[in-house]
Amino acid sequence: MDDHIPKGELALYAFNPAAVSPERGAAIRNHTAVCFECQADLDFVSVREADLGDSDVWEPVVGSATYDSLMALGARITEEDRAAEQVLAPLLANPATIAWTNFATQKRFLTGGVARKLTDAAHGVCENEPIVALTYADAAIAVAEALPKETYPSRAIYEVIGSAWKERANALRLLGEFREALESLKRAERAYRELTDAGVPLATVAFVRAAVFYEQQRLDEAADMAEIAERGFAHGGEDDRRMKALYLRANVHYESRNIAAAMPLYRRVLEYGENRTDAEWIARASYALGNCFIEERDLGEASMYFHKALVLFREVGPSTERVRTEWGIARVLLHGGKPAEAIRRLRDVTAEFEQRQMVTDAALAGLDTAEGLLVSGQMRQIVPLARHLFTIFHKAAMLTGALTAISYIKEAAAAGTLTKEDLHVVRAFLRRAERHPDLVFAPPPKPV
Amino acid sequence: MQEPHNEGRIPPSQRSGEPAVSGVPSQFEEAYLRFGPLLRKIAAKKFGIPVQDVEPLVHDVFATYFLRWTTVEAPERYLVGAICNASRKYWEQADAAGLIFCGETPCAATPSDALLREVHSKVLLSRILGCVGAKCRDLLEGYYMNGETTRAIADRLRSSPATVLVLLHRCRKRALAAYQSMTERS
Repeated sequence: MDDHIPKGELALYAFNPAAVSPERGAAIRNHTAVCFECQADLDFVSVREADLGDSDVWEPVVGSATYDSLMALGARITEEDRAAEQVLAPLLANPATIAWTNFATQKRFLTGGVARKLTDAAHGVCENEPIVALTYADAAIAVAEALPKETYPSRAIYEVIGSAWKERANALRLLGEFREALESLKRAERAYRELTDAGVPLATVAFVRAAVFYEQQRLDEAADMAEIAERGFAHGGEDDRRMKALYLRANVHYESRNIAAAMPLYRRVLEYGENRTDAEWIARASYALGNCFIEERDLGEASMYFHKALVLFREVGPSTERVRTEWGIARVLLHGGKPAEAIRRLRDVTAEFEQRQMVTDAALAGLDTAEGLLVSGQMRQIVPLARHLFTIFHKAAMLTGALTAISYIKEAAAAGTLTKEDLHVVRAFLRRAERHPDLVFAPPPKPV
Repeated sequence: MQEPHNEGRIPPSQRSGEPAVSGVPSQFEEAYLRFGPLLRKIAAKKFGIPVQDVEPLVHDVFATYFLRWTTVEAPERYLVGAICNASRKYWEQADAAGLIFCGETPCAATPSDALLREVHSKVLLSRILGCVGAKCRDLLEGYYMNGETTRAIADRLRSSPATVLVLLHRCRKRALAAYQSMTERS
């Protein structure tokens, strides 16, 4: 092969082929046809001739109006967040003060940073302290709605407003105020729709709405809404949130006893967790699949999945899920014809739920214990068990239809008429009463 | 059965982005410079948005992103999805549901490999321009970006058009050397 073409000559030729003699031009063409190194250099210079006229190429070097505007916005957001951190620190340290602070009338609070900080704070405490979260969200709304709509360019203020309303909905959902939660979601949606792109924000609204419908047992609507959220999150590259929406949809199917629809979704969640080596997702999906296999009466598979979940929950928590998984294993034993071992484990599980004041779970595990006693011919022992469950509800001040349901179990056991069907009816009632405390218990009709 | 999760955010501990220059956190500038060209190409080439309207759309998408970046899991996929939505909204072609989401895959207008290569090549060229020196940058910007003639540049530099051509040639050589140095390093 000939010697390489000097770089300068290649650059000259690329810029203007006529700048070299025809013979030299032919030599360059012949050489670059077989020399990939020189060809790459020639291509680079040739292509760059066109690219150098593109404003995108120059923007990082010389800037642009868009760049300047966005960097100014970025700096402003950062400064607002810093200032909000300072001004809200004493209030967030004492959440009660938030409730009686009039945010909308004090200038120092009227910034996007304060609204965002309050919204973030609401999100942070939502699961454990929904009442506090509601207070924060209401304050965030007061600030966000008081800000001029032109606070930020591109109508971006609607992102702040929408998020504050969405957080309010989240808190209300956890407080069982479903109608108000749905109203807040309407407000969030209305705000988000003012944005040029509202894909992921609207997916978030769809997700929270699905969760509210789920709590309300509006299961078809919940499934539809969760699917919309799934698609929205997928579109925005939000894989983890997409999986949360898919998991919710699976829970909806499980709740409707459509195990055939729930199982493939849980399997997708499991696959996702395994691909990411995410212990929490693997554990949650395994636990859920264990429950499905119990429903399918495939106790071997149920046991396998529960044990898989148990190992992970023991390692990474949360401990409540670990107890629920142990409950699942006890139910496998119960349905597998080992009532004595099941009863022993169920009593341990019930005690752990009681310790954690998880009253409904304690009662449901207690009903499984009652079933174990029933199948092993120890109906009389159900009476003190039911009395104990009654006390748990009473202590928790849950003076609902649940008390009537537990009393019904106690009396039927005392009379020797208790059946598995009775336990099934009470179990279903307690699950519903957890979300609807006003439900009235109606005993199942007895055959004449 | 377990309760559905909260919809979740990236915890503060995972947030990066120390302030870079003049109070602008680096993640804003990085995201804009890295993905801005791609978003413009998608809006213009895939959705046929008129050139003069592309810039406001890109601005809108980034402005919203800046306010919610802590909750975004995958910035590139988020921004691509966002510009697709924004472009659809611009044309108001789709119905209300279609306007928001477009299915399982990120977007029908997801950038092709060719488009990505084109954008990548331009981003690379931007980096090269950072290495050729201020005089060369001024010269190349005037000639290529602002469309100045060699005569106009020569007048500005108190020189001749022929000298400007020689200078341009040297600057291209310098750019080529910078490119080779970058590709060798990588």
